[in-house]
Amino acid sequence: MTKLLHKPLKAFAVYALIILAVSIPVYVLVVDYIWINELDENNWLTLQHIKQRLQSEAFSNDEIENLNRIWGELHPGVSILKIETRPIQQDSIYEIVRANVYDLDDEEDRFRGLASYVEINGTPYLLAIETNIEESDETFLAIAVVTFLFFVVLITGFILLNRRIATKTWKPFYQTLEALHSFELSKDNTIDLPATDISEFKELHQSLEQLVNNNVATYQLQKAFTENASHELQTPIALLKSKLDLLLQEKDVTPERSEILNAIEAPLSRLSRINKNLLVLAKVENQQYSEREQLDVIAFIGETQSLFEDYITDKALILQSKTPPTFIVSANAFLLETLLHNLFSNAIRHTPKRGSINLSLENKTLSFSNSGNTALDAQHLFERFFSASKDKVSSGLGLAIIKEITTKYNWQITYRFENEFHIFSITF
Amino acid sequence: MKILIVEDEQALAQDMMQYLAHEQYLCEWAPDYRTALEKIHGYEYDCILLDLMLPGGDGLSLLQELKDLNKQDGVIIISAKNAIEDKVQGLRLGADDYLSKPFHHAELAARIESLIRRKQFDSSNVVVQNELSIDIHAKTVMVNNVLVNLTKKEYELLLFFLGNKNRVLSKGALAEHLSGDFADMFDNHDFVYAHVKNLKRKLKESGYGDYIKTIYGTGYKWET
Repeated sequence: MTKLLHKPLKAFAVYALIILAVSIPVYVLVVDYIWINELDENNWLTLQHIKQRLQSEAFSNDEIENLNRIWGELHPGVSILKIETRPIQQDSIYEIVRANVYDLDDEEDRFRGLASYVEINGTPYLLAIETNIEESDETFLAIAVVTFLFFVVLITGFILLNRRIATKTWKPFYQTLEALHSFELSKDNTIDLPATDISEFKELHQSLEQLVNNNVATYQLQKAFTENASHELQTPIALLKSKLDLLLQEKDVTPERSEILNAIEAPLSRLSRINKNLLVLAKVENQQYSEREQLDVIAFIGETQSLFEDYITDKALILQSKTPPTFIVSANAFLLETLLHNLFSNAIRHTPKRGSINLSLENKTLSFSNSGNTALDAQHLFERFFSASKDKVSSGLGLAIIKEITTKYNWQITYRFENEFHIFSITF
Repeated sequence: MKILIVEDEQALAQDMMQYLAHEQYLCEWAPDYRTALEKIHGYEYDCILLDLMLPGGDGLSLLQELKDLNKQDGVIIISAKNAIEDKVQGLRLGADDYLSKPFHHAELAARIESLIRRKQFDSSNVVVQNELSIDIHAKTVMVNNVLVNLTKKEYELLLFFLGNKNRVLSKGALAEHLSGDFADMFDNHDFVYAHVKNLKRKLKESGYGDYIKTIYGTGYKWET
């Protein structure tokens, strides 16, 4: 994954590299052009000056020859030579490359020359002037090196600026990201977004706030709906149970009818259990059961165990527990009781006859393990109405309730399947 | 015995009256807060069955009223709210018991009988049924003055049967009575059968008549 700010940085760097690379030959051409123009002008000026002086001073032919000799000694760039024929040509500009005598490292040098014809005392002379000019490959190298140095400076600048921008300008964005990250629909009612003076961020924040508010409202509505629906269902369920009780007392109930009545009782009590569990879930979600006490988990385990004793004996289960004498947690008594009831009843219901249940509390971790055949789907296990078994009495909410209660108290619930044992662990 | 049923759901109140009428209880019904308040002020009841959510007022303030009037009426809260706070607060305000809806009528009858026994038999504490006598305080059972050795569950079952004489008791109701509210977490209540069988055997061995009848497909009945 690339970070948002690295993308433009990369593009900028590539773009700068291309532009700078293209600029090198352009610079070379421009510099070369200026060089040549300047030198040609310089040559011409010098030549005009010499011409004028030669003509006005009235040098003799011998003197001119002497002059040429002295120039040849002292200033090899200028020469004047007698020519036989009259010149027909105009002034000419030429370029010549020859060995450099003084600089051995630089083998050859480029020269810019201007040749002209002058007549002194009726004799035609060829007057030439040559000036050293930088070779274009040297210019190219120099410009390339400088450009590369600037490129490095540019990229360093980009990186530093980018970092500054990232920490300053994008700060609210990253804060927003953090706020979204830590937002929990079930706990928070509003989202706290940082103040910003950047219009895009402001818009983003407004949209986010609206989205969150809508979601919170929908969520509250849904929670309220669950609680209201469960409340509303309580009375009809109570009435059904009541009528069924009365029906059982009828004098002339035939065995067939009696069996039907009995068959109604099981689904009815399941309905009642689902409704009770939905209500508990809704209430935990709505932050009810807020009072806390210091409670001894071991005592609660003992009570639950004796409550379910008959079911354990009925299935001939072997229950082994390894617990310290006391273990105190701060929680709501009803919720702790509900948690243990659900853990116990789960273990009892899902253990095959004559299976075993092991209960242990070590290192602040309460573990229920019971024998089983195949691992359960740990990912969806704690979801509402996710039924792992074809159990007729399961409300499908027991594990969801366990999850909800542990979440409320920041306890960790985990499930794993090890050596043919289902293990549910709660770390307080 | 007079019982006041404070319950806004008419059908449920009528069912309760119908079930309880068998036990020689005289039931009165108050569908709302005002009626309940009037009846409380005007009469004495052996037991008041109190729903907490009432039209016109909160059931808990009726409890406060009883306390202020210094009345000795026994109170069983029957509430759909099933809120632990209500239970704690209700019991603190002087209610004697708490039963959450939905409940089996048999359970309610047993609770009422137990409450009335506690209120009225303070001196003797002994329930006599034919040649059977039960000392509520000591939790002992005698047949023809010979001690019958019952387990805790068998003893509880016996009292439950005696509170619901001539009534068909479903296995579910019996299981719920023995294991509490969470009995509906299980589909198999076979242990009820084992307990009832043992109770029958022990009573029979002591020379007590076979009053517990098995009702096919449903449950049991204590016939007198």
